[in-house]
Amino acid sequence: MANNYTPSEKKILDKMFLYSHLVFISFSMVKMEANGFTITMSPMLEELYKDDPEAMKEAVARHQQFFNTHAVPFSFIAGLAAAMEKQHKEGKVDGATIENIKAALMGPTAGMFDSLFFNCLRVIAAGIAIGLCRNGNFLGVIIFLLLYGFTQSIAKYLLFHAGYNLGTSFIDQVFNSGLIQVLTKCAGILGLMMVGAMTANMVNIPLNLVVNTTGAEGGAVNVGEIINSVFPGLLGVVALFVMVALIKKGWKPSQLILLIFAIALVGALIHIF
Amino acid sequence: MVGAALKICIVYFLFAYGDEILLSWQCLTRPIVIAPFIGLVLGDMGTGIKMGAELEAIFMGISAIGGVIAADATLSTVIAVAYTILNGTPMTDGLALAFPIGTVLTSINSLTMSLISNPLAAYWEDLAARDLKAFKVQNFLFAAVMKIIPSLIIFVAVAFGIEGLSKLLASLPPFVMTGLGAASGMMIGVGFAILTSMIWDGEIGIFFFVGYVMAAYMHLDTVAIAILGAAIAITMFFSYKRNIDLKNELLAAGVNANNAAAGEEDFF
Repeated sequence: MANNYTPSEKKILDKMFLYSHLVFISFSMVKMEANGFTITMSPMLEELYKDDPEAMKEAVARHQQFFNTHAVPFSFIAGLAAAMEKQHKEGKVDGATIENIKAALMGPTAGMFDSLFFNCLRVIAAGIAIGLCRNGNFLGVIIFLLLYGFTQSIAKYLLFHAGYNLGTSFIDQVFNSGLIQVLTKCAGILGLMMVGAMTANMVNIPLNLVVNTTGAEGGAVNVGEIINSVFPGLLGVVALFVMVALIKKGWKPSQLILLIFAIALVGALIHIF
Repeated sequence: MVGAALKICIVYFLFAYGDEILLSWQCLTRPIVIAPFIGLVLGDMGTGIKMGAELEAIFMGISAIGGVIAADATLSTVIAVAYTILNGTPMTDGLALAFPIGTVLTSINSLTMSLISNPLAAYWEDLAARDLKAFKVQNFLFAAVMKIIPSLIIFVAVAFGIEGLSKLLASLPPFVMTGLGAASGMMIGVGFAILTSMIWDGEIGIFFFVGYVMAAYMHLDTVAIAILGAAIAITMFFSYKRNIDLKNELLAAGVNANNAAAGEEDFF
């Protein structure tokens, strides 16, 4: 990481990094993370445009635009925008370019970091932590915080400075090379494996259906136990893929939940569960 | 009850404001982190830790769909843990209740969002252009108010709702609690189904079953599966990357060859 910042520059960047944790401050559906982004940019804007109120107004308006991405690349884009605002003051970049780069980076970075942090790292951290906490071990909580919490701040720090130093040419290179799609796919492999493992361990359909096939005493058979001895956790996997199919058909999670409550209550009433 | 409610409401506020607003990790408000601390202030941390694990599984994927949240994981967790510990009921009852309660409380959250947060967007834009310092201060205050609202709802729910709730549940026929218990086991599946449908891709879908077999048949624990999974993912990444590098090299070489040919034609 380049350390050839001037003292005043370093102070501004440190402040911006701290502010870049305010992603969800005053979040609204209208502009999403715009307020957080404006606050993150404020140390740099105040420094650059302290003698030019008109330019300041324009710059603030730029960063009050709708903005939405994952919390980690939020810092990366803020670093990049800070570098571009500096170039804007020198007349090398126009304001519309800054807005366009921000808008162009939102979607791809959100997708990529959701798959890395939300669908992969969080699922792994939770999987490990749940195993420990089920036995009442507080260590699970600490591991979850270290794996899923602190890592975000570390990634934010590295990416914020990377964004500030790399500039926009690098972005074109990375986004056109196809590496992003590959990274997303490989995070998906790990995420799917963890989800598969946790489905086997946790999705529990407490089938308690007893069928008396022979009619004789002691001929009663517990269907759930038989299925589990042949194919452990089959019911959970089948239920999961039925729900995946329903989601692909456009079902909302709340509809699935209502369906489950209905099935569970009716099932309990007729003694299946 | 009022004293307990006050403690819970303070823990909720500190976690929700500190994490979502000041850290943006969305990590301390997860059930697995907040449940032990609710347990701690109510004098039964063990139950908090164990319920946190179950609730984390239930809410694993629920909050994953952007914008539309079916049930607020944090509010559900706080109420479910408080109900279990304060009433001394079995954990399964609290878990069965988490979802119905969470769904009701979530609607309050989306109500404050559309009634208060959304109309303010124009105000913020105007203020930011006029006075950046005031903009910052007011953002911090406003975000605190937005977390105080659900904190107060928790306070009222725990202080005055829990006794009524347990009376109501006692009057229900027994199959209802059996049904709700069965539902909470299956509810975990909803979260995993949402996650699966987000990640699923024909080319890598088979790895779901690899993870499944490792857990169900080989009885490996989660850390072991994570390490094996990481090994596969890293190997796949470098093999894909080699393909891309090769493609780019070929492209570059091809472009050069074309240029060279064009140059020769010009020369002759």
